[in-house]
Amino acid sequence: MSKEKVHGYIPDLTGQYRDGRVSRREFIRTATLLGLSAASAYGLAGTIDGIASPAHAQEAKPKGGVLRLETTVYDVKSPAVANTTAHPWIYSQVVEYLTVIGSDNVTRPHLLESWEPSDDLSVWTLRVRDGVTWHSGRAFTADDVIWNLTRLLSDEVGSSMLGLMKGYMLNDVDSGKTDENGKKIITHELWAPNAIEKVDDMTVRLNLKAPQLAVPEHLNHYQAVMLDPAEGGTFDVGSNGTGAFTLTEIEPGRGAVIEAVESYWGEGPYLDKVEFVDLGGGDQAIINALISGQVHGAFQVQPELARILEAQDHLTLYDVTTADTAVSRMRVTEKPFDDPRVRKAFRLAIDPAKACAVAFGPFATPAEHHHVAPIHPEYAKLPEWKQDVEGAKALLAEAGYGDGLEVELTIQQNPPHHLRSATAMQEMLKDAGVTCNINVVPNAQYWDMWTTVPFGTTVWAHRPLGVINLGLAYRSGGAWNESGYSNPEFDRLLTEAEAMPDPEVRRGKMAEIEALMQEDGPIVQTYWRKLLTFYDKKVVGFEMHPTYALFANKLAIRA
Amino acid sequence: MKRILINRIVQFLVILLIASFLLFAVTEFSPGNVAAKILGPYALDSQVRMLTGRLHLDDPLLTRYLRWLATLTGLLPNQLGGDATGLGLTDPRGAQYFGNFGFSLMQGRPIVDVLADRFAHTVTLAVWAIGLTIPISLALGVLAGTTAGSWIDRTITVITVTLTSLPEFVVSVALIFVFSASLGWLPGTSPLAQGDRWSEASQLVLPVAVLVIASSAYVTRIVRSSVVDTLARPFVRTARLKGLSPLRVTFFHVLRNALIAPITVILLQINWILTGVVVVEAIFAYPGIGRLMLEAALFGDLYLIQALTLISLTVAIATQFLGDLAYVLLDPRIRVA
Repeated sequence: MSKEKVHGYIPDLTGQYRDGRVSRREFIRTATLLGLSAASAYGLAGTIDGIASPAHAQEAKPKGGVLRLETTVYDVKSPAVANTTAHPWIYSQVVEYLTVIGSDNVTRPHLLESWEPSDDLSVWTLRVRDGVTWHSGRAFTADDVIWNLTRLLSDEVGSSMLGLMKGYMLNDVDSGKTDENGKKIITHELWAPNAIEKVDDMTVRLNLKAPQLAVPEHLNHYQAVMLDPAEGGTFDVGSNGTGAFTLTEIEPGRGAVIEAVESYWGEGPYLDKVEFVDLGGGDQAIINALISGQVHGAFQVQPELARILEAQDHLTLYDVTTADTAVSRMRVTEKPFDDPRVRKAFRLAIDPAKACAVAFGPFATPAEHHHVAPIHPEYAKLPEWKQDVEGAKALLAEAGYGDGLEVELTIQQNPPHHLRSATAMQEMLKDAGVTCNINVVPNAQYWDMWTTVPFGTTVWAHRPLGVINLGLAYRSGGAWNESGYSNPEFDRLLTEAEAMPDPEVRRGKMAEIEALMQEDGPIVQTYWRKLLTFYDKKVVGFEMHPTYALFANKLAIRA
Repeated sequence: MKRILINRIVQFLVILLIASFLLFAVTEFSPGNVAAKILGPYALDSQVRMLTGRLHLDDPLLTRYLRWLATLTGLLPNQLGGDATGLGLTDPRGAQYFGNFGFSLMQGRPIVDVLADRFAHTVTLAVWAIGLTIPISLALGVLAGTTAGSWIDRTITVITVTLTSLPEFVVSVALIFVFSASLGWLPGTSPLAQGDRWSEASQLVLPVAVLVIASSAYVTRIVRSSVVDTLARPFVRTARLKGLSPLRVTFFHVLRNALIAPITVILLQINWILTGVVVVEAIFAYPGIGRLMLEAALFGDLYLIQALTLISLTVAIATQFLGDLAYVLLDPRIRVA
């Protein structure tokens, strides 16, 4: 086995862990990000703290059998434009990612054997795993990686990878044309000809425009599966892949079937076949199917229905704490939210713990209005957030709204917890003299207005690092900056944080960012969701993942 | 009779043409950009604009309507197949054929294929539901009507009024609770999934039962009223005075005349079951036309919505047409008029 090349910062990080200046989670998280394998990181931590690596109590997994799982079955012909976390349930069993984020929120190489960032995090060397072959028998090489990454980063394909990596891989190009509103039409291109560079048959180098810590996480974005270039970017029954299964049937809206392939390079597969059953996404149907044993597990179960299923002897509850949340964001370009005093007053009026309890009961934890979760490795603990209704009233009066204020909060219709959460906020804002009318719209309609509505609640999925969401949602001109927030001080702090491999220094920077968000930011944020589901007790090897990811190759079923 | 038929067919085509244009006009005001829905909320403006152009969604309304009509009638090829959109849309029949509704953007398949599967399932449901509804409601309606005022009539009336008042989702949940969750005799959903341990037949039982309960309670009420009305008419009294047996009076004189009103209702039930059983199909996850309509509407799958609405209209007008025809056959006075 070749000796792992160690990033220059790893010795310092080890010293910090030994001295108790970074937590175990933070140590493992950062060490793996800097290219150390998860096994080595856990082992190194173990030499310091004496804690053994997670045993992953390996229950013997039986071979064979058919597993039936509930999920919405979408058209997956173009994984590059998949737009829900349910899409990859089907295709990611056949075509795989370069990296994988585990249920423990640690990123590991997958089709890559390793990655090595430069000390300044602006050059990332990706080594392709030796011995991985496509189902066709051809070896998986650097050319496959380059073809896929280049394709995902082109405007024509329509992948949201473009928004995710735009800041460090692409340049804006003025097309010279304007749209119907007279706005310039901007397209994109790789920022340099060698931005994606082939070093040799098994090595790719990413030369970044700006330092970036989260490259391995971005390579696990749900659209970033490696497709066979010979198939032109499409995916269908019989498509070539590197995964443990092959797709044998699919009918969007009804179901899909994947069957095990021989000689998979990784763990498993244990099952002969997995059948995905689409029940239309209706909660009632999902509950009925789980109770009557028509499916062995479900994509997810809403928290309000958990009690019904907990009473079923043949089912087991699986849940996971995540950084999945919704933020009630205020457009800073619209009155009254253009005044930071109003934004802060809205935050002061809210008690996140109460709002969280009303909406989710035990299946969520309170947030602190800054969109960095306690499970993020760079999370900095600030003084406990206190509701201050009098303070909120005083700020509103100072901003010229002493006689009260009327606003409209737009929320999505489903799931129902959006309305519960909004109603809790509505009642609390009332105490501060704010009349908040709730406008419930169909989900599809909300996504048409999410970047324009003055006050709206937007769902933000779990991302393994806090800086990822902050960069996407709040950086000036950020790809998904729905609030129009633009604060040079915030941008500067975030850019500095993103270039800091040292979690202790980064945490100091994050404390400044979080405090700035609480003082000036554009959001009210009350909860971090737990995701939950139920599986039949016969199913072995399942873990609920913070982004719902399914690893069917690790699942087995007892007779 | 021939003139009536020709008139009806012409009316039928004109209504379809007007309705199809109205559909386009309505979808013009429906919220959302389909390209943005396909690419998801996190796509950039430049990406959405490119796909909008490839899907021809930025063409004027009239241009899109005429192109759709020409594609449907096989005069023009569908422009969305092949590499045109980058979405991998392919149609094994080719790009130009009669009945080409285009592609479902939600499912990435030709709409003809999507409809064929779903319609077949809905027809199965309808055949069972209507096949059971008609004899049950005729038997109960005639029994209640011929025994009007008795305890039998009152019992049937109370039960049918109660069942008519209950929304379908209440009946569905009650049946699931009893037969699936409590007794475990039947599956709780009906996705007709391959390899399910429950047979397809067993998956049909509960949705069919809900539809039969909902339809037959209503039709029974109508049959009963019609029978009571008919029994009071002079020709029935004449038949009785002629000494005909009560059974003969009921089946040969009363029933034929009493069926005119219920036939319209039964045909409306067929129309409803074929195109509008959204609630039942959603609760049982039954893969029929109703669930498809709901999914298409939520996604904003324009071409699929247009196809489904056009088919619903066709079914509605066709059932009305059959109703008119039945009137003519059952009542010679209408033929003469």
